[in-house]
Amino acid sequence: MINYDIILNAVVGHLFLAYSALLISIIIAIPLAVLSLFNRYLASVLLVFANLIQAIPSFAVVAIVVPLLGIGFKPAIFAIILRIILPLFKNTFTGLKDVDFVYIDSARGIGLSQLEIIRYIRFPHAFPAIFAGIKFSAIIANSVAILTSLIGAGGLGELIFEGLTNFNIPKVLTGAIPAVIIAVLLDVSFSLIEKRISLKY
Amino acid sequence: MTIKTIEHLSMVFVALAIIIVIGVAIGIFLYNKKYLSNIVLNILNIIETIPELVLLVILMPFFGIGYKPTMIASILYSILPVARNTYVGLIQVDKQYLESARAMGLAEREILWKIRIPLALPMIAAGIRIAIVFVMGVITLGGLIAAGGLGGPIQTGIHLYDRDIILVTGLWIGILAVLLDSIGSFIEKVLNRKYGYD
Repeated sequence: MINYDIILNAVVGHLFLAYSALLISIIIAIPLAVLSLFNRYLASVLLVFANLIQAIPSFAVVAIVVPLLGIGFKPAIFAIILRIILPLFKNTFTGLKDVDFVYIDSARGIGLSQLEIIRYIRFPHAFPAIFAGIKFSAIIANSVAILTSLIGAGGLGELIFEGLTNFNIPKVLTGAIPAVIIAVLLDVSFSLIEKRISLKY
Repeated sequence: MTIKTIEHLSMVFVALAIIIVIGVAIGIFLYNKKYLSNIVLNILNIIETIPELVLLVILMPFFGIGYKPTMIASILYSILPVARNTYVGLIQVDKQYLESARAMGLAEREILWKIRIPLALPMIAAGIRIAIVFVMGVITLGGLIAAGGLGGPIQTGIHLYDRDIILVTGLWIGILAVLLDSIGSFIEKVLNRKYGYD
Protein backbone atom coordinates (compact mmCIF):
# COMPACT_ATOMS: atom_id res chain seq x y z
CA MET A 1 0.00 0.00 0.00
CA ILE A 2 1.39 3.34 -0.98
CA ASN A 3 0.90 6.13 1.47
CA TYR A 4 0.74 9.35 -0.51
CA ASP A 5 0.97 11.57 2.55
CA ILE A 6 4.33 10.12 3.49
CA ILE A 7 5.66 10.55 -0.04
CA LEU A 8 4.35 14.10 -0.26
CA ASN A 9 5.93 15.00 3.06
CA ALA A 10 9.20 13.48 1.97
CA VAL A 11 9.14 15.40 -1.31
CA VAL A 12 8.49 18.67 0.51
CA GLY A 13 11.26 17.96 3.02
CA HIS A 14 13.62 17.05 0.22
CA LEU A 15 12.89 20.18 -1.80
CA PHE A 16 13.17 22.39 1.27
CA LEU A 17 16.54 20.90 2.16
CA ALA A 18 17.97 21.14 -1.35
CA TYR A 19 16.70 24.63 -2.13
CA SER A 20 17.51 26.33 1.14
CA ALA A 21 21.07 25.06 0.68
CA LEU A 22 21.10 26.25 -2.93
CA LEU A 23 19.77 29.67 -1.93
CA ILE A 24 22.35 30.13 0.83
CA SER A 25 25.12 29.08 -1.53
CA ILE A 26 24.03 31.57 -4.18
CA ILE A 27 23.86 34.32 -1.58
CA ILE A 28 27.40 33.54 -0.46
CA ALA A 29 28.98 32.68 -3.80
CA ILE A 30 28.02 35.70 -5.87
CA PRO A 31 29.42 38.37 -3.52
CA LEU A 32 32.50 36.20 -3.12
CA ALA A 33 32.96 36.18 -6.88
CA VAL A 34 32.59 39.96 -7.04
CA LEU A 35 35.17 40.36 -4.27
CA SER A 36 37.54 38.07 -6.13
CA LEU A 37 37.40 40.42 -9.09
CA PHE A 38 39.22 42.98 -6.97
CA ASN A 39 41.63 40.63 -5.27
CA ARG A 40 43.62 38.33 -7.50
CA TYR A 41 45.09 36.42 -4.57
CA LEU A 42 41.70 35.51 -3.12
CA ALA A 43 40.56 34.48 -6.58
CA SER A 44 43.41 32.07 -7.24
CA VAL A 45 43.14 30.47 -3.79
CA LEU A 46 39.40 29.93 -4.19
CA LEU A 47 39.76 28.58 -7.74
CA VAL A 48 42.35 25.99 -6.69
CA PHE A 49 40.09 25.03 -3.82
CA ALA A 50 37.09 24.78 -6.13
CA ASN A 51 38.89 22.40 -8.45
CA LEU A 52 40.00 20.20 -5.57
CA ILE A 53 36.58 19.99 -3.94
CA GLN A 54 34.90 19.06 -7.19
CA ALA A 55 36.95 15.88 -7.30
CA ILE A 56 35.84 14.63 -3.87
CA PRO A 57 32.88 12.21 -3.84
CA SER A 58 29.69 13.60 -2.29
CA PHE A 59 29.49 10.64 0.05
CA ALA A 60 32.89 11.50 1.53
CA VAL A 61 31.84 15.15 2.01
CA VAL A 62 28.63 14.10 3.76
CA ALA A 63 30.59 11.70 5.96
CA ILE A 64 33.26 14.20 6.97
CA VAL A 65 30.59 16.64 8.14
CA VAL A 66 29.35 14.17 10.76
CA PRO A 67 32.35 14.21 13.13
CA LEU A 68 32.53 17.99 12.82
CA LEU A 69 28.88 19.00 13.22
CA GLY A 70 26.98 15.89 14.27
CA ILE A 71 23.84 14.69 12.50
CA GLY A 72 20.50 16.24 11.58
CA PHE A 73 19.15 18.98 9.36
CA LYS A 74 21.80 21.66 9.83
CA PRO A 75 24.84 19.46 9.12
CA ALA A 76 23.01 18.21 6.04
CA ILE A 77 22.53 21.76 4.75
CA PHE A 78 26.16 22.44 5.50
CA ALA A 79 27.26 19.36 3.53
CA ILE A 80 25.20 20.39 0.49
CA ILE A 81 26.56 23.94 0.64
CA LEU A 82 30.09 22.61 0.87
CA ARG A 83 29.51 20.53 -2.23
CA ILE A 84 27.91 23.20 -4.43
CA ILE A 85 29.28 26.55 -3.37
CA LEU A 86 32.59 26.29 -5.16
CA PRO A 87 31.26 25.28 -8.57
CA LEU A 88 28.82 28.17 -8.22
CA PHE A 89 31.64 30.53 -7.35
CA LYS A 90 33.77 29.24 -10.20
CA ASN A 91 31.09 29.79 -12.82
CA THR A 92 30.13 33.24 -11.55
CA PHE A 93 33.74 34.34 -11.34
CA THR A 94 34.76 33.12 -14.80
CA GLY A 95 31.57 34.60 -16.22
CA LEU A 96 32.30 37.99 -14.69
CA LYS A 97 35.96 37.88 -15.61
CA ASP A 98 35.71 36.71 -19.21
CA VAL A 99 33.73 39.71 -20.43
CA ASP A 100 35.21 41.01 -23.65
CA PHE A 101 37.66 43.78 -22.92
CA VAL A 102 36.13 45.98 -25.60
CA TYR A 103 32.96 46.46 -23.55
CA ILE A 104 34.86 47.26 -20.37
CA ASP A 105 37.05 49.74 -22.21
CA SER A 106 34.18 51.59 -23.78
CA ALA A 107 32.32 51.62 -20.45
CA ARG A 108 35.35 53.24 -18.90
CA GLY A 109 35.49 55.62 -21.82
CA ILE A 110 31.99 56.92 -21.11
CA GLY A 111 32.99 57.40 -17.49
CA LEU A 112 31.37 54.53 -15.58
CA SER A 113 32.86 53.75 -12.19
CA GLN A 114 34.20 50.27 -11.23
CA LEU A 115 30.97 49.36 -9.45
CA GLU A 116 28.82 50.59 -12.30
CA ILE A 117 30.86 48.51 -14.72
CA ILE A 118 30.23 45.44 -12.60
CA ARG A 119 26.55 46.20 -12.26
CA TYR A 120 25.74 47.22 -15.84
CA ILE A 121 28.39 45.52 -17.98
CA ARG A 122 29.84 42.49 -16.27
CA PHE A 123 26.70 41.06 -14.69
CA PRO A 124 24.48 41.13 -17.77
CA HIS A 125 27.23 39.48 -19.79
CA ALA A 126 27.85 36.88 -17.11
CA PHE A 127 24.20 35.85 -16.76
CA PRO A 128 24.38 32.77 -19.00
CA ALA A 129 27.47 31.49 -17.17
CA ILE A 130 26.00 32.22 -13.74
CA PHE A 131 22.82 30.49 -14.71
CA ALA A 132 24.65 27.42 -16.00
CA GLY A 133 26.36 27.27 -12.62
CA ILE A 134 23.03 27.47 -10.80
CA LYS A 135 21.59 24.68 -12.94
CA PHE A 136 24.58 22.45 -12.29
CA SER A 137 24.43 23.18 -8.56
CA ALA A 138 20.70 22.52 -8.40
CA ILE A 139 21.23 19.07 -9.86
CA ILE A 140 24.06 18.29 -7.46
CA ALA A 141 22.05 19.67 -4.53
CA ASN A 142 19.21 17.38 -5.51
CA SER A 143 21.50 14.37 -5.48
CA VAL A 144 23.35 15.23 -2.26
CA ALA A 145 20.04 15.93 -0.50
CA ILE A 146 19.12 12.28 -1.05
CA LEU A 147 22.39 11.19 0.50
CA THR A 148 22.11 13.41 3.54
CA SER A 149 19.15 11.36 4.77
CA LEU A 150 21.86 8.98 5.88
CA ILE A 151 22.82 11.55 8.51
CA GLY A 152 19.24 12.12 9.62
CA ALA A 153 18.06 14.99 7.44
CA GLY A 154 14.80 13.30 6.42
CA GLY A 155 13.28 13.68 2.97
CA LEU A 156 13.09 11.21 0.11
CA GLY A 157 16.37 9.57 0.97
CA GLU A 158 14.89 8.38 4.24
CA LEU A 159 12.36 6.24 2.37
CA ILE A 160 15.17 4.82 0.27
CA PHE A 161 17.36 3.98 3.25
CA GLU A 162 14.50 2.48 5.26
CA GLY A 163 13.66 0.34 2.27
CA LEU A 164 17.30 -0.65 1.86
CA THR A 165 17.70 -1.88 5.44
CA ASN A 166 14.60 -4.09 5.14
CA PHE A 167 15.34 -4.95 1.53
CA ASN A 168 11.88 -3.61 0.78
CA ILE A 169 12.17 -2.76 -2.91
CA PRO A 170 8.73 -1.09 -3.33
CA LYS A 171 9.55 1.24 -0.47
CA VAL A 172 12.91 2.05 -2.05
CA LEU A 173 11.13 2.88 -5.28
CA THR A 174 8.63 5.20 -3.56
CA GLY A 175 11.66 7.26 -2.61
CA ALA A 176 13.56 6.79 -5.84
CA ILE A 177 10.90 7.49 -8.45
CA PRO A 178 9.90 10.96 -7.14
CA ALA A 179 13.59 11.79 -6.96
CA VAL A 180 14.05 10.89 -10.62
CA ILE A 181 10.98 12.93 -11.57
CA ILE A 182 12.29 15.93 -9.63
CA ALA A 183 15.69 15.62 -11.28
CA VAL A 184 14.31 15.42 -14.81
CA LEU A 185 11.84 18.28 -14.23
CA LEU A 186 14.68 20.36 -12.82
CA ASP A 187 16.84 19.73 -15.84
CA VAL A 188 14.07 20.44 -18.34
CA SER A 189 12.82 23.63 -16.68
CA PHE A 190 16.30 25.00 -16.09
CA SER A 191 17.26 24.27 -19.70
CA LEU A 192 14.22 26.22 -20.90
CA ILE A 193 15.09 29.23 -18.75
CA GLU A 194 18.70 28.92 -19.84
CA LYS A 195 17.70 29.13 -23.50
CA ARG A 196 15.67 32.28 -22.81
CA ILE A 197 18.51 33.91 -20.96
CA SER A 198 21.15 33.15 -23.55
CA LEU A 199 18.84 34.46 -26.25
CA LYS A 200 18.44 37.70 -24.38
CA TYR A 201 22.11 38.30 -23.59
CA MET B 1 42.24 -0.45 4.93
CA THR B 2 44.86 -1.42 2.36
CA ILE B 3 42.67 -4.24 1.09
CA LYS B 4 39.67 -1.92 0.90
CA THR B 5 41.72 0.67 -0.98
CA ILE B 6 42.96 -1.89 -3.49
CA GLU B 7 39.43 -3.18 -3.93
CA HIS B 8 38.17 0.35 -4.41
CA LEU B 9 40.82 1.35 -6.93
CA SER B 10 40.51 -1.86 -8.91
CA MET B 11 36.78 -1.22 -9.23
CA VAL B 12 37.47 2.33 -10.35
CA PHE B 13 39.95 1.22 -13.00
CA VAL B 14 37.81 -1.60 -14.36
CA ALA B 15 34.84 0.76 -14.61
CA LEU B 16 36.98 3.43 -16.26
CA ALA B 17 38.36 1.01 -18.85
CA ILE B 18 34.83 -0.06 -19.80
CA ILE B 19 33.64 3.55 -19.88
CA ILE B 20 36.48 4.67 -22.14
CA VAL B 21 35.84 1.85 -24.61
CA ILE B 22 32.07 2.34 -24.70
CA GLY B 23 32.20 6.14 -24.52
CA VAL B 24 34.69 6.55 -27.35
CA ALA B 25 32.81 3.97 -29.41
CA ILE B 26 29.54 5.88 -28.91
CA GLY B 27 31.30 9.13 -29.80
CA ILE B 28 32.64 7.72 -33.07
CA PHE B 29 29.31 6.07 -33.83
CA LEU B 30 27.50 9.38 -33.35
CA TYR B 31 30.03 11.07 -35.56
CA ASN B 32 29.11 8.62 -38.32
CA LYS B 33 25.37 8.97 -37.68
CA LYS B 34 25.01 12.62 -36.79
CA TYR B 35 21.22 12.64 -36.90
CA LEU B 36 21.20 10.30 -33.88
CA SER B 37 23.50 12.47 -31.81
CA ASN B 38 20.81 14.71 -30.36
CA ILE B 39 18.65 11.84 -29.14
CA VAL B 40 21.46 9.75 -27.70
CA LEU B 41 23.18 12.64 -25.95
CA ASN B 42 19.86 13.79 -24.49
CA ILE B 43 19.10 10.34 -23.10
CA LEU B 44 22.55 10.16 -21.54
CA ASN B 45 22.04 13.66 -20.19
CA ILE B 46 18.83 12.65 -18.44
CA ILE B 47 20.57 9.67 -16.85
CA GLU B 48 23.18 12.02 -15.55
CA THR B 49 20.71 14.33 -13.80
CA ILE B 50 19.39 11.41 -11.74
CA PRO B 51 20.95 11.43 -8.27
CA GLU B 52 23.72 8.84 -8.03
CA LEU B 53 22.18 7.01 -5.11
CA VAL B 54 18.79 6.82 -6.81
CA LEU B 55 20.35 5.34 -9.92
CA LEU B 56 22.00 2.71 -7.73
CA VAL B 57 18.81 1.70 -5.99
CA ILE B 58 16.79 1.67 -9.20
CA LEU B 59 19.21 -0.89 -10.61
CA MET B 60 18.84 -3.07 -7.51
CA PRO B 61 15.61 -4.84 -8.53
CA PHE B 62 17.29 -5.89 -11.76
CA PHE B 63 20.81 -6.70 -10.67
CA GLY B 64 20.55 -7.39 -6.93
CA ILE B 65 23.01 -5.77 -4.56
CA GLY B 66 26.76 -5.48 -4.46
CA TYR B 67 29.36 -5.32 -7.18
CA LYS B 68 27.22 -5.60 -10.31
CA PRO B 69 24.73 -2.72 -9.85
CA THR B 70 27.52 -0.46 -8.63
CA MET B 71 29.60 -1.06 -11.72
CA ILE B 72 26.62 -0.66 -14.04
CA ALA B 73 25.55 2.56 -12.31
CA SER B 74 29.03 4.04 -12.48
CA ILE B 75 29.30 3.16 -16.16
CA LEU B 76 25.87 4.54 -17.06
CA TYR B 77 26.60 7.67 -15.12
CA SER B 78 29.96 8.45 -16.68
CA ILE B 79 29.49 7.52 -20.32
CA LEU B 80 28.01 10.92 -21.16
CA PRO B 81 31.11 13.08 -20.61
CA VAL B 82 33.32 10.69 -22.59
CA ALA B 83 30.83 10.19 -25.44
CA ARG B 84 29.93 13.87 -25.69
CA ASN B 85 33.53 15.04 -25.60
CA THR B 86 34.58 12.48 -28.20
CA TYR B 87 31.76 13.56 -30.48
CA VAL B 88 32.41 17.27 -30.03
CA GLY B 89 36.16 16.75 -30.39
CA LEU B 90 35.71 14.90 -33.67
CA ILE B 91 33.31 17.50 -35.05
CA GLN B 92 35.30 20.53 -33.99
CA VAL B 93 38.50 19.73 -35.88
CA ASP B 94 39.78 22.82 -37.63
CA LYS B 95 38.83 23.04 -41.32
CA GLN B 96 42.35 23.79 -42.50
CA TYR B 97 43.58 20.35 -41.37
CA LEU B 98 40.70 18.61 -43.07
CA GLU B 99 41.19 20.51 -46.30
CA SER B 100 44.90 19.81 -46.48
CA ALA B 101 44.22 16.14 -45.70
CA ARG B 102 41.67 16.00 -48.49
CA ALA B 103 44.06 17.76 -50.83
CA MET B 104 46.63 15.07 -50.07
CA GLY B 105 44.05 12.52 -51.17
CA LEU B 106 43.20 10.85 -47.84
CA ALA B 107 39.93 8.96 -47.76
CA GLU B 108 37.27 9.98 -45.22
CA ARG B 109 38.09 6.91 -43.14
CA GLU B 110 41.78 7.80 -43.08
CA ILE B 111 40.91 11.38 -42.15
CA LEU B 112 38.90 10.07 -39.20
CA TRP B 113 41.71 7.88 -37.86
CA LYS B 114 44.75 9.95 -38.78
CA ILE B 115 43.48 13.51 -38.41
CA ARG B 116 40.28 13.76 -36.43
CA ILE B 117 40.96 11.28 -33.63
CA PRO B 118 44.47 12.51 -32.75
CA LEU B 119 43.24 16.10 -32.74
CA ALA B 120 40.26 15.12 -30.59
CA LEU B 121 42.46 13.43 -27.97
CA PRO B 122 42.70 16.45 -25.64
CA MET B 123 38.89 16.75 -25.59
CA ILE B 124 38.52 13.01 -25.00
CA ALA B 125 41.01 13.21 -22.13
CA ALA B 126 39.01 16.05 -20.58
CA GLY B 127 35.91 13.86 -20.78
CA ILE B 128 37.73 10.95 -19.18
CA ARG B 129 38.87 13.22 -16.38
CA ILE B 130 35.28 14.14 -15.59
CA ALA B 131 34.40 10.46 -15.77
CA ILE B 132 37.11 9.67 -13.18
CA VAL B 133 35.44 12.03 -10.71
CA PHE B 134 31.99 10.52 -11.33
CA VAL B 135 33.20 6.92 -11.10
CA MET B 136 34.96 7.66 -7.85
CA GLY B 137 31.74 9.12 -6.43
CA VAL B 138 29.46 6.28 -7.51
CA ILE B 139 31.82 3.55 -6.38
CA THR B 140 32.19 5.17 -2.98
CA LEU B 141 28.40 5.13 -2.73
CA GLY B 142 28.42 1.48 -3.69
CA GLY B 143 29.55 0.80 -0.13
CA LEU B 144 25.93 1.42 0.88
CA ILE B 145 24.71 -1.56 -1.12
CA ALA B 146 27.56 -3.83 -0.08
CA ALA B 147 29.79 -3.46 -3.12
CA GLY B 148 33.02 -3.42 -1.14
CA GLY B 149 35.56 -0.65 -1.39
CA LEU B 150 35.94 2.36 0.85
CA GLY B 151 32.25 3.28 1.06
CA GLY B 152 31.64 0.39 3.47
CA PRO B 153 33.81 1.71 6.32
CA ILE B 154 32.13 5.14 6.03
CA GLN B 155 28.71 3.58 6.40
CA THR B 156 29.88 1.56 9.40
CA GLY B 157 31.33 4.71 10.90
CA ILE B 158 28.10 6.68 10.49
CA HIS B 159 26.00 3.87 11.95
CA LEU B 160 28.25 3.40 14.97
CA TYR B 161 28.84 7.16 15.20
CA ASP B 162 32.57 6.46 15.30
CA ARG B 163 34.37 9.71 14.55
CA ASP B 164 37.75 8.14 13.87
CA ILE B 165 36.55 5.74 11.20
CA ILE B 166 34.57 8.47 9.43
CA LEU B 167 37.35 11.03 9.50
CA VAL B 168 40.11 8.66 8.41
CA THR B 169 38.12 7.04 5.61
CA GLY B 170 36.52 10.27 4.48
CA LEU B 171 39.80 12.12 4.26
CA TRP B 172 41.49 9.15 2.62
CA ILE B 173 38.82 9.00 -0.08
CA GLY B 174 39.19 12.75 -0.56
CA ILE B 175 42.95 12.42 -0.99
CA LEU B 176 42.58 9.51 -3.43
CA ALA B 177 40.02 11.44 -5.46
CA VAL B 178 42.22 14.52 -5.67
CA LEU B 179 45.23 12.37 -6.63
CA LEU B 180 43.35 10.58 -9.41
CA ASP B 181 42.01 13.90 -10.65
CA SER B 182 45.47 15.43 -10.78
CA ILE B 183 46.81 12.43 -12.71
CA GLY B 184 43.95 13.00 -15.14
CA SER B 185 44.72 16.68 -15.46
CA PHE B 186 48.41 15.89 -16.04
CA ILE B 187 47.56 13.52 -18.91
CA GLU B 188 45.19 16.13 -20.31
CA LYS B 189 47.94 18.73 -20.25
CA VAL B 190 50.46 16.45 -21.97
CA LEU B 191 47.96 15.63 -24.72
CA ASN B 192 47.08 19.28 -25.06
CA ARG B 193 50.71 20.18 -25.58
CA LYS B 194 51.09 17.49 -28.20
CA TYR B 195 47.84 17.83 -30.13
CA GLY B 196 46.24 21.05 -28.86
CA TYR B 197 45.58 24.01 -31.10
CA ASP B 198 47.38 26.69 -29.18
